[in-house]
Amino acid sequence: MRSSTFRIAAAGIGSVMALAACSTGAPTADSSSSGAAGGSNNKTIAFVQGVAGDEFYITMKCGIEAKAKELGYTVTTQGPQKFDPTLQKPIVDSVTASKPAALLVAPTDVEAMQAPLEQAAAAGIKVVLVDTTVNDPSFAVSQISSDNIGGGKAAFEAIKKAKPNGGKVLVISVDPGISTTDARVKGFEDAAKADGTYQYLGVQYSHNDPATAANLVSAALQKDPDIVGIFATNLFAAEGSATGVRQAGAKDVTIVGFDAGPNQIKALKDGTVQALVAQQPAVIGSDGVEQANNALTGAPVEKKIQTGFTIITKDNLDAEGGQAAYKSTC
Amino acid sequence: MTALFEARGLSRRFGRVQALDGADFDIAEGEVVALIGDNGAGKSTLVKALTGNLDLESGQILYEGREVHFATPHDASRLGIEVVHQDLALAPHLDSAQNMFLGREIMRPGILGRLGFMDTPQMRQRSAQAFTELGSAVRSVVVPVGAMSGGQKQSVAIARAVAWANKLLFLDEPTAALGVVQTRNVLDTIKRVRDRGISVVLISHSMPHVLEVSDRVQVLRLGRRVATYQTSGTTIEELVGAMTGALDNQEGAA
Amino acid sequence: MSSTTEHQKAGSGAPMETSASHENLVERVKAMQSVWILGVLVVIIAVFGVLAPTTFLTPGNITNIAQNVSIWAVLAVGMTFVIITSGIDLSIGSVLVVSSVVAAQVMERMGDQGWGTALVGLVLSVVVGIFWGCLNGFLVAKANVPPLIVTLGTLSVALGVAQILTGGLDVRSAPAVLQDNIGYGRLAGVPVITIVALVIVVLGGILLHKTRFGRYTYAIGSNETSARRVGINVDRKLVQIYGFTGLLAGIAGILSLAQYGTTTIAGQSLTNLNVIAAVVIGGTSIFGGQGSMFGSMVGLFIPAVLQSGFVIIGVSPYWQTVAVGSILITAVYVDQQRRSTASGGRR
Ligand SMILES: Nc1ncnc2c1ncn2[C@@H]1O[C@H](COP(=O)(O)OP(=O)(O)OP(=O)(O)O)[C@@H](O)[C@H]1O
Ligand SMILES: [Mg+2]
Repeated sequence: MRSSTFRIAAAGIGSVMALAACSTGAPTADSSSSGAAGGSNNKTIAFVQGVAGDEFYITMKCGIEAKAKELGYTVTTQGPQKFDPTLQKPIVDSVTASKPAALLVAPTDVEAMQAPLEQAAAAGIKVVLVDTTVNDPSFAVSQISSDNIGGGKAAFEAIKKAKPNGGKVLVISVDPGISTTDARVKGFEDAAKADGTYQYLGVQYSHNDPATAANLVSAALQKDPDIVGIFATNLFAAEGSATGVRQAGAKDVTIVGFDAGPNQIKALKDGTVQALVAQQPAVIGSDGVEQANNALTGAPVEKKIQTGFTIITKDNLDAEGGQAAYKSTC
Repeated sequence: MTALFEARGLSRRFGRVQALDGADFDIAEGEVVALIGDNGAGKSTLVKALTGNLDLESGQILYEGREVHFATPHDASRLGIEVVHQDLALAPHLDSAQNMFLGREIMRPGILGRLGFMDTPQMRQRSAQAFTELGSAVRSVVVPVGAMSGGQKQSVAIARAVAWANKLLFLDEPTAALGVVQTRNVLDTIKRVRDRGISVVLISHSMPHVLEVSDRVQVLRLGRRVATYQTSGTTIEELVGAMTGALDNQEGAA
Repeated sequence: MSSTTEHQKAGSGAPMETSASHENLVERVKAMQSVWILGVLVVIIAVFGVLAPTTFLTPGNITNIAQNVSIWAVLAVGMTFVIITSGIDLSIGSVLVVSSVVAAQVMERMGDQGWGTALVGLVLSVVVGIFWGCLNGFLVAKANVPPLIVTLGTLSVALGVAQILTGGLDVRSAPAVLQDNIGYGRLAGVPVITIVALVIVVLGGILLHKTRFGRYTYAIGSNETSARRVGINVDRKLVQIYGFTGLLAGIAGILSLAQYGTTTIAGQSLTNLNVIAAVVIGGTSIFGGQGSMFGSMVGLFIPAVLQSGFVIIGVSPYWQTVAVGSILITAVYVDQQRRSTASGGRR
């Protein structure tokens, strides 16, 4: 009895290990051979995402892999199950132990990831921060992220294109104190105030709740029925804003959303939003590889790079707009 | 002779079943009383009611002539009253020594004991001794009770109750799962316990056993005591008649 | 008890003698799940050792793994007690967060970076942890709400309280002495946080296996009725056990502050499930009555070693979840087999 139990258990565990072995396949062979060689001919790059399975990071990974192939590197990608520093730290520690030549990482917390990443840099790994950053990034060879202020400006441009005659504009953001969304709001505000034909009504916070966003927008439309454009800094804010517009019975309001994951693209196709400001995660990734390569080969490195945006509307969805949408596979 | 332990008019209902319907009970010091009755007559319920395992709707319990109220089984234990329940109530994952001393652990002497450390070797030794004396079929005291046969479990439960009872011992069908030798041992144990001056209440469906060890027999039917007999002057036929109701109105006959 | 011994030496009937010790040590050892699961851990380590000899089995990596399981180990001590009572505590991650939030806010206000401040933080964190733990225990024992529901509730209430206290923004300050000495300090090459965890685990193991408190924990999980019948105050014990788990979550809250330097409000999202998985892999039965501290620790290392190994040899993160889940199911399956043999059934 006991022995059969053991056999089944062994089979279970064994199959797990086998799975692991198959799924590794080629990359293992590659990375371990180059890892063993060590030193300057180490051609591995590790990419640690903020969260596994998110289209933004998958698109970034595609950019990384394409550039790495061009430059002759192999890439292994890891990511925690949630955007959670307590889950990301063990992964970074193990990556450090595996001694890649470079590490591209999207830190999940400015404070919690500081020490683990410093440790990686101290182990001689070239660390490039992509998308997000830490409190004191001086150990990193380069930081690459979207220019969120520029993103806010781009959102304003999108409204301007749809409503060239000017009017009142409103921002629905998530919560105060989030650096990325705050920067987007600031960029929008600056651009709107600089243009005399538009009247900036300020920012309201939805607390990441579509219902709150809807209430805010319909109340704003009661007060100012002539609002022409709303910039919603994330998906829930955009969805709620659209509901609010419908509730208030307003027709001709342009809603501009942010990011271009499948949900956002669907919202665009459905007419919930009229334009999207897409970041360029693939560019962030490929720039990251390029900077890592520069650091490894002794070429000059750019300490800080800010990438641009693409505005997607229904009209360009089949052309450059569609290409800017985030991918779920490479 | 005043009763050591006496109950008057105990009642308890479970939904539509009147499990106890004004039941009386009494036992004297050093006496062995057999409690018999058909399945569902209320014997186990009565035992639970008498030992703080069950709340009552009405009735009175007297111990050494004074009214007592057992809110928990522990209250009864404190007076030296122990029970072997029909369902045994052992912890299957603990071994027999651990079960034997559950709730009454022997602590290590001194500061360690104060900190909650137990004297495991001593508890094992004492349990082994108790089992050996009982002649039980428990081979080792460090085997989890859950891994034992039904009869071995029963031995453990009996050994535990016998070890701790010093006034009154309730045995609810203690021989139900036992082999011939072990049954004999239990009957001998009952006599030995009585010889120590401890009263024993035996619930059993085996009339020969009842006649062998008891001094008196009390018959329970439909939740009330319907008859009491001196064992020396009764027969199996009479007892069966009282249980089934063929013979009625015997209350107080003895 | 003593009164029985002076009677009858004859011991009528069978001449069998009951032994006071193990009949066969090998049998006993084999029956412990922690032994075969330890074997599994050794095999996993060996496999990765072969696959990545220069990177996996390095002192640096092993210390990292130990450091990264330290906080979970502290939580697993409490979880082992709770699961042995046949309960569950889903709230530990949230209790950890709310404890560290209260501690961090007060320490930030004190401003000082020294040990005094850290000590105040520790006391506060532990008090908050005990509060939530006792609340869990009280609801489980007295209000008779199933532990799954109670702790699912406190999971979100405690997290909500942490968010209310902070407005959802992490407190990103911990006294420097905590971060430098506990979070990232080392003693003879061993991370201090790991030493702290080890001490707690050893004390927890002693409490579980050697003291009456531990014995009652098993008794309650094994057969609550029998525990009540022998006079164990089951309700009070349950409050104590859940309270103890909360206390450990409070300690873990301070350790987390020391390690991450922030309150990780949005983090710790899978902490409860990971700790429960570790305890169950280690042979503690979710049906109660069975388990060991050693097993929980082995159970904690299996997912951690697997993850580290998989990252080092470059396996996709998705496979890691598959592997850990499979091992969890296998472990419970084997546990069931053992259970059915232990209860005498041949199946
Ligand atoms: N906890 C309970 N809930 C509901 N009904 C109960 C409960 N305990 C006992 N009863 C009912 O009370 C009646 C008496 O049961 P009890 O167990 O006392 O009988 P008994 O005389 O011990 O029978 P047996 O010889 O089969 O052990 C039965 O009808 C039983 O179904
Ligand atoms: Mg009965």
